[in-house]
Amino acid sequence: MDRNDKRIRILIGKPGLDGHDRGAKYVAQILRDAGFEVIYTGIRRTPEQIVEAAIQEDVSAIGLSLLSGAHKFLFKRVIDLLKEKGASDIQVFGGGTIPPDDIPMLKQMGVCAVFTPGTPGRVIVQTLKEHLQVPA
Amino acid sequence: MSEISECIARIESQKRDWEDRTVSRTILRFPEQRKEFVTGSGKPVERLYTPDASVLADYESKLGFPGCYPFTRGVQPTMYRGRFWTMRQYAGFATAEESNRRYKYLLSQGTTGLSVAFDLPTQIGYDSDDPMSLGEVGKVGVAIDSLADMETLFEGIPLDQVSTSMTINSTAAILLAMYIAVAEKQGVAPEKLNGTIQNDILKEYIARGTYRFPPKPSLRLISDIFAYCTKHVPNWNTISISGYHIREAGSTAAQEIGFTLADAICYIETALKAGLKIDDFGPRLAFFFAAHSDLFEEVAKFRAARRLYARIMKQRFGASDKSAMLRFHTQTGGVTLTAQQPENNIVRVTIQALAAVLGGTQSLHTNSKDEALALPTEESVTVALRTQQIIAYESGVTSTIDPLAGSFYVERLTDELESEAEALIRKIDDIGGMVAAIEQGFVQKQIEESAYRFGQTIESGDRVIVGVNKFQSSEQTRMQLFEVPEVSQQRQIEKVRQIRRNRDRTRVETALEEVRQAARGTENLMPPILNAVKAYATLGEISQTLVSVFGEYNETGH
Amino acid sequence: MNNELSNLIHQARSGDIRAASRLMSRMVDEPQRLVELFSETDDCPQPRLVLGITGAPGSGKSTLTDRIAGEYRNRYPDRKLGIIAVDPSSPFTGGAVLGDRVRMMRHSTDPMIFIRSLASRGHLGGLALGARAVVHVMGLIGCEVILVETVGVGQSEVEVASRCDLTLVVLAPGQGDSIQMLKAGLMEAGNLFVINKADRDGADQLYQSLVSVLQLKPKNEIRSAGYCTDVVPELENVFLVSAFEGRNIDRLVDAIELYTHQHHEQWKAHRQRQVQEEVREALLEEVRRRVLKVMGVNGRSEARIDRILRGETGVAELASELMKEAAGMTEKGDL
Repeated sequence: MDRNDKRIRILIGKPGLDGHDRGAKYVAQILRDAGFEVIYTGIRRTPEQIVEAAIQEDVSAIGLSLLSGAHKFLFKRVIDLLKEKGASDIQVFGGGTIPPDDIPMLKQMGVCAVFTPGTPGRVIVQTLKEHLQVPA
Repeated sequence: MSEISECIARIESQKRDWEDRTVSRTILRFPEQRKEFVTGSGKPVERLYTPDASVLADYESKLGFPGCYPFTRGVQPTMYRGRFWTMRQYAGFATAEESNRRYKYLLSQGTTGLSVAFDLPTQIGYDSDDPMSLGEVGKVGVAIDSLADMETLFEGIPLDQVSTSMTINSTAAILLAMYIAVAEKQGVAPEKLNGTIQNDILKEYIARGTYRFPPKPSLRLISDIFAYCTKHVPNWNTISISGYHIREAGSTAAQEIGFTLADAICYIETALKAGLKIDDFGPRLAFFFAAHSDLFEEVAKFRAARRLYARIMKQRFGASDKSAMLRFHTQTGGVTLTAQQPENNIVRVTIQALAAVLGGTQSLHTNSKDEALALPTEESVTVALRTQQIIAYESGVTSTIDPLAGSFYVERLTDELESEAEALIRKIDDIGGMVAAIEQGFVQKQIEESAYRFGQTIESGDRVIVGVNKFQSSEQTRMQLFEVPEVSQQRQIEKVRQIRRNRDRTRVETALEEVRQAARGTENLMPPILNAVKAYATLGEISQTLVSVFGEYNETGH
Repeated sequence: MNNELSNLIHQARSGDIRAASRLMSRMVDEPQRLVELFSETDDCPQPRLVLGITGAPGSGKSTLTDRIAGEYRNRYPDRKLGIIAVDPSSPFTGGAVLGDRVRMMRHSTDPMIFIRSLASRGHLGGLALGARAVVHVMGLIGCEVILVETVGVGQSEVEVASRCDLTLVVLAPGQGDSIQMLKAGLMEAGNLFVINKADRDGADQLYQSLVSVLQLKPKNEIRSAGYCTDVVPELENVFLVSAFEGRNIDRLVDAIELYTHQHHEQWKAHRQRQVQEEVREALLEEVRRRVLKVMGVNGRSEARIDRILRGETGVAELASELMKEAAGMTEKGDL
């Protein structure tokens, strides 16, 4: 590898109180395998902590994983905070236990992609590369 | 004896002949479907298993008889011929009123035990109006803020007639106190209560994440509960040491039992250090495992867990046979459910439930087909319960005990899983025990690596998940999903505020101060917590009081 | 001077956090431009203390870093603090999972703390190539103490000592290779030694062996190591703490502060040497990039190498050829 390539940075975090981090950790690893630099922030984070970290780490995107059903509230809060901080250029995507009927609403809110359980890793990577305009 | 070994030697040499002549010829013309066959956990599987001398030669020490040490074949002498396992469906959502209605429905449909799901704020110790609870109230379970909610939750359900299992860990002492207080109001004495609290904090640090306090004070709370219940609530299962969430987080079957038994060792050592006697609390320790879809591996896992635990209890702790029995609850594997073609999940759950029953479980929760998408609807919960009833009443597998014993394959798997798990326990002993292993991230890392390997086999198509990476269908199944009513959250917040307005303030403050004093010292925390609960101190207030003395735990990362 | 860089520097200096974090990315992606950053900001305040924290994997560096940060924030509520945490990049894909932040998230919303995770990007020595530039940018936005946590992968982490004012070496019982690592160079790199997890069995034993190793080392050998170890490690330099429980962290920070007070003047010269060293590295980086560029991608470099293998040319000849080509290259990389 060339150690001085520009690397796209992505933050993976779990807002809310649920502690199931298998999906979040797995996505972090496949993004690493795809050459991204992933900032993993762990479980039980507030939207404020996640947005502040995303800004300090200069990431291009934030991935949120949620299994508790609190996605409507917490995704919105993260997107609102990004707006407040003038950081709406940071893309937000998500995954976890999310009913299909909620996806259109999340997208309208500004979530660029939602990956439900069973989404193959290469689909996640490819979708993100398109959204972040990473040359293939 | 020598006759047996001669026999075995003869069979082995015949097997070699068979491999060399018959098999190799066939393979030339019809290659096998894959180079290596593996179990659901990735253990290599041989083409054919043949008899192993030890099953007969060491029968007494390895297998024995049901209800007798080492309990490999089951913990009760008659198993399901006497009575079936407890069919226990985990349920709870929104407010206490709504959950109470679901419990009454489940009891009317033939459930034989309740299993309470609490929402995350309750599990971590935040009241519903705490800013940390925003968006989470009533979502994954019922919100309980004070004794008033608990009274509503069990309204009309006589607590001396049901057994209640509560999935509660860092705040287990508080919820148990509330349960005891509700019973008292119903006129039921604590010694009449039956049930279980999960109370397994170590696996929260490892896999599930609802910790609040650091390990040391958390372990102290657990041994306080052990001591209190031994005296006052003798039929209560004081802990349900859980491999389920470890498996859900991605571990292998061997890791599931290895890490769970290592957790058990840590709890036992803590209680012994606190001066308890092994046979006073040993019989009240219960376990909780997952059942995944590799039928034989899962059955072997349950058998291996029983045998290994019995040996540990006896050899390491000098426990009696009664304490050495591994009794367990099983839940079918949540992570094996797919969002794609959800009807298929009913079939998965059936195989998994069968594995639990063939493995000798004491109680069982079967998942509903829609749980990869949302909380289950009443209709899908009913199908899940019917699945258990069909296995119990129609399949015939319950008529004899441990029916897979003596299968060359299952016995070998049992031996292998046992020794793999034992090696993990030794490794954790070397690190300095489970708390040290968690702080170092050893356990988390092992699980994370297994989860990654498993995921990679799906990505590569090496492992087929029907409807996900093979046999996909473009048709979208439309399903009616359950949704927690949004209004519940607001109602719950109003309710807790009203409770705070209407109670005796001084009594609450005094009671909380007593909890604080007890936390600072070494006396048992249960009595002052029970007292605070009765004064309608809220869950959040009691938790915060404990935090002020104990501090809070933070995730340790990789 | 590139305008965009200049703008970012200007915005960062005026307190724009996003600009500062973008500037950090820019410097990490193109570390050879460190010189531009230096020349444009030589009038800026620089941190009072850059503290390196290194040690074996599993010794609890991140938790200790988190605790030290907490202690500093308690003592100086109105002063800013920066944390840089380095994790390894995958040698296969170049990607990385940077997980040190997990232990520090409680500081995430503290406006007085700026945390930045870096991937090593193949750079050996325990830091990332752009780490020094990130320190500098943190200085620009007013961080007066900066904690630099290294990768922690092994023995080659002595680089941290040449990049920081003061280096803390963290050890823990149960980490079998702790003493080995010390012997392999970390001892010379360290100014203060911390035995973390002091509540564990084996902590006392580790303390004993650490002390005896430190005493065995002749004074002049330590001096000759060329780093800032101008004080022979003594018993006062060894601390038993428990980062997990937060025990003895105050004593450790007392010692760090005392050390800073005593050596503040000497560090000036040390920092001057650091700057020279970094400019030298930036220069080498620029040369490396140009040579790589002329060497060519997509088969061109393979073709050249094949010529050597076929005996048509030698390594020395080809190297001269490449350097000549590189010399004709403009700053933008055009020939």
